[in-house]
Amino acid sequence: MFGPRLDGDRGVSLVPPTIEHFKLHIQWIVQPEVGRFWGPRFGELTDERQEERFKKTGEDETQIMWTIAFQDEPVGWTGIFDIDWVRRDGESGIIIGRHDLFGRGIASEAVRLRTDFAWREMRLHRVHNWIAFSNRGSRRANEKSGYKQMGLYRKSFFRSGDWYDEWLGEAYPHTFPERR
Amino acid sequence: MTTLRLPVEADLETFNRWMADTRVRRAHSVWQEPAMPATWKERLKETAKDKMDVLWSIDTADRLIGLVFGSFWSVTQLGFAVRQLVIDPDDWRRGYGFDAALALHRYLFDYLDIPRVGVEIRADNLAAVRIAERLGYVEYARGHEVHYRDGAYVDEIQLFMDKNAWDERWGATEREYASRLAADATR
Repeated sequence: MFGPRLDGDRGVSLVPPTIEHFKLHIQWIVQPEVGRFWGPRFGELTDERQEERFKKTGEDETQIMWTIAFQDEPVGWTGIFDIDWVRRDGESGIIIGRHDLFGRGIASEAVRLRTDFAWREMRLHRVHNWIAFSNRGSRRANEKSGYKQMGLYRKSFFRSGDWYDEWLGEAYPHTFPERR
Repeated sequence: MTTLRLPVEADLETFNRWMADTRVRRAHSVWQEPAMPATWKERLKETAKDKMDVLWSIDTADRLIGLVFGSFWSVTQLGFAVRQLVIDPDDWRRGYGFDAALALHRYLFDYLDIPRVGVEIRADNLAAVRIAERLGYVEYARGHEVHYRDGAYVDEIQLFMDKNAWDERWGATEREYASRLAADATR
């Protein structure tokens, strides 16, 4: 599924992805700055494969996905994946594909919009995620929306000659902070 | 005591019965929901084709008593996730679960040289927790109120075991080809 348009603060909004947004994913994830805590930066990275992914994602009722827009430009994506509708639980994820925009609070606002939607519209019970422990920006963005640490997975993946640990977080409606 | 073997079509009716058994469902999320025989045949075919998933049937004395299903992580991250290990509830408390788990891990660590294996267990499934601890698993995370059944939520424990732990605890005694290696050494 694709999520509806959600307008936030500081020029950040979540919008339903388009096929053109999906094609941008390829450029984003192969950049070392973006892929550092993410995938291996290789795979079937073609426009044709992205068209298939776009169609499958739109049809899949166990996930909800948005494009993150900053000042109306697509700059990343976020979503809740592997949703179990009986347990009302899903795994969240986020990528800011434009590394020149890191540190501007875009991820924090995107996570806030996504998490608020999970509780107020999807009526989920829990959302959880895995974040590279060294990725302080992403951890902080999730913590601001009520994610709490539930574990630490040592030596989860290997990049540039080093092992990286992963931080496991979980959030519930009651951990979501009230807006001031 | 137990043997992990290739699953065959004749096992599917029993798999379906286990997936519908409330004792199994209470203990763990099921690998597949109960379904028509044609659906099960399709599932078996799809699982056989999938290069990352593995399914075994578990026998004792030529009698089907369980199944184990798991997945390799990815091409860049070597590891294996044990998704579900089912022993027929009528055969619980006879040691089959531990014996089958030991055989599975012997294959994963000693034969495939997998560096790490993970499992997720409901916190109140004490039999599974005991098996995991005895094997050498350690807890790295606990999800709160993850599974819902019997009108209440239950936590989920996430555990892993790495090859060093296996070697320390089981490496000297549990070998896939122990007898052949010994025979070769004396030639």
